[in-house]
Amino acid sequence: MELQFSEVTKSFGDLNVIKQFDSTIGTGEIVALVGPSGCGKSTLLHMVAGLEQPSTGNLRADGQSVAKPSPKRTLVFQEHALYPWMTLIDNVALALEFQDTPRKAALPEARKWLARVKLDGFEDYYPHQVSGGMRQRCALARAFIARPQVLLLDEPFGALDALTRMTLQSVLKDLIEEERPTVVLVTHDVDEALYLADRVLVFSKRPAVILKEITLGHIPKTHDLTAFADIRRDVLNLLGIDTDTTHAVDAEGEIS
Amino acid sequence: MSNAQSTGVASKRAYVIAIAVILFFWQVAAWFLPDFLMPDVHVALQRLWEELNSAEFYEGLGNSMSRLGIGYGAALFFGIVLGLVGGTLNAVRSTLKAAIIILQSIPSIAWVPLFLILMGFGNLPIIVVVAIGAFFPTALSVMNATESVEKVHISAARVMGASKLQMLKRVYFPAVTPELITGAQLAFGNAWRALISAEMIVGFSAGLGKSLAYSGEIADMTGVMTNILVIAVLAAVIDQVILERIKHRLLRYQYL
Repeated sequence: MELQFSEVTKSFGDLNVIKQFDSTIGTGEIVALVGPSGCGKSTLLHMVAGLEQPSTGNLRADGQSVAKPSPKRTLVFQEHALYPWMTLIDNVALALEFQDTPRKAALPEARKWLARVKLDGFEDYYPHQVSGGMRQRCALARAFIARPQVLLLDEPFGALDALTRMTLQSVLKDLIEEERPTVVLVTHDVDEALYLADRVLVFSKRPAVILKEITLGHIPKTHDLTAFADIRRDVLNLLGIDTDTTHAVDAEGEIS
Repeated sequence: MSNAQSTGVASKRAYVIAIAVILFFWQVAAWFLPDFLMPDVHVALQRLWEELNSAEFYEGLGNSMSRLGIGYGAALFFGIVLGLVGGTLNAVRSTLKAAIIILQSIPSIAWVPLFLILMGFGNLPIIVVVAIGAFFPTALSVMNATESVEKVHISAARVMGASKLQMLKRVYFPAVTPELITGAQLAFGNAWRALISAEMIVGFSAGLGKSLAYSGEIADMTGVMTNILVIAVLAAVIDQVILERIKHRLLRYQYL
């Protein structure tokens, strides 16, 4: 599914969140939106999901104006989006039940998807009984089970520790390779963006405009991102993070 | 789990001690007052035993319980519906809530003269008064809980393509259940008070309240104390055994 933004703006009252966003995200492309927190990238994602409407401008999915949510464009939230009153398998099956699949047919499918994210054996656990990483695995299963054409990820692993986050990034990468949806990932983890995305859009502070667009192409990658060191430094600098080593030595010198 | 069990045992022990203390003070009062003013505990218990073997007692009990069941049941049903609908309609919510808070401050027994004239001498005014007493706390608790359902839970259902009805059944209803149960227990206390007092005033056919009022009229203090005993024990059993059990069943996921 192709996503087309033309002159999209968004403001909440007097607050300008997004200023003139123009972009096209091709079918099957994996695009990461990186920027300082509160810059409006999540709002952009919510607009693609149909949870919010642009103030002006146009947002189209395969040529159709996006007016409301659709299971074709699903969204994975940062955390707490699983229903605490349902077991993991019920949470996953619910995505199908909401599309009027009978529960009898939804349950085996949910079981299959839990196994795909390595949660077999945990079907009957409640979300609060498993770790944060397992909850997000379940959230991924719930998103993929509906076979979305667009997968939107809103800092999906932001609340996890570094090691769990990397494991889950690999799980997500494999699922994307197998299912090939169009992916829009919002993150402030630069490494996550470089590891998962084919293209990275770096956003400014609010109101969000694109500072830089980096095309990596769809190439095989591992968590060893040394080949992307220059790009990484570039992005970090754009986000206002100091990477100048001479500077760092100076600072250390001052302390000692 | 072991924690929940040990607090269960502790609270049971607390109840046993509390009952012993109450009975002790009653007995002390009976020692100091003449028998026609305050009967001994064992005399009242003996009367209770006689009552339990009389058909008359069961007729009154049955009448009271069906009035309670119909009134309380209707209050729960309409309270849940109004609470869910009111909680999701931003436009009317604050007005509705204010109206409930005002009406709630009227003691339910104050409605008796109105309904007695409006509906005539019979079961109906008692049932309506019971329902009024239970309706407001139920509606208010459900409305407050509906208002504070986590946004991400609603958004997640929307992106999964939930219809309005599915959203109500699968998201809102289970999300408000914990507060609903608290409200329903509060509502039961109101309903019970309303039932006994309305029966005492209206005095239509047999019932626990009528039986109490009648004992008072003929200055049968043993009868008065026996009736009070029955009213107290029934309330405790319904609240602590039946409602608590339903609560644990419905909120099973929280106790794991």
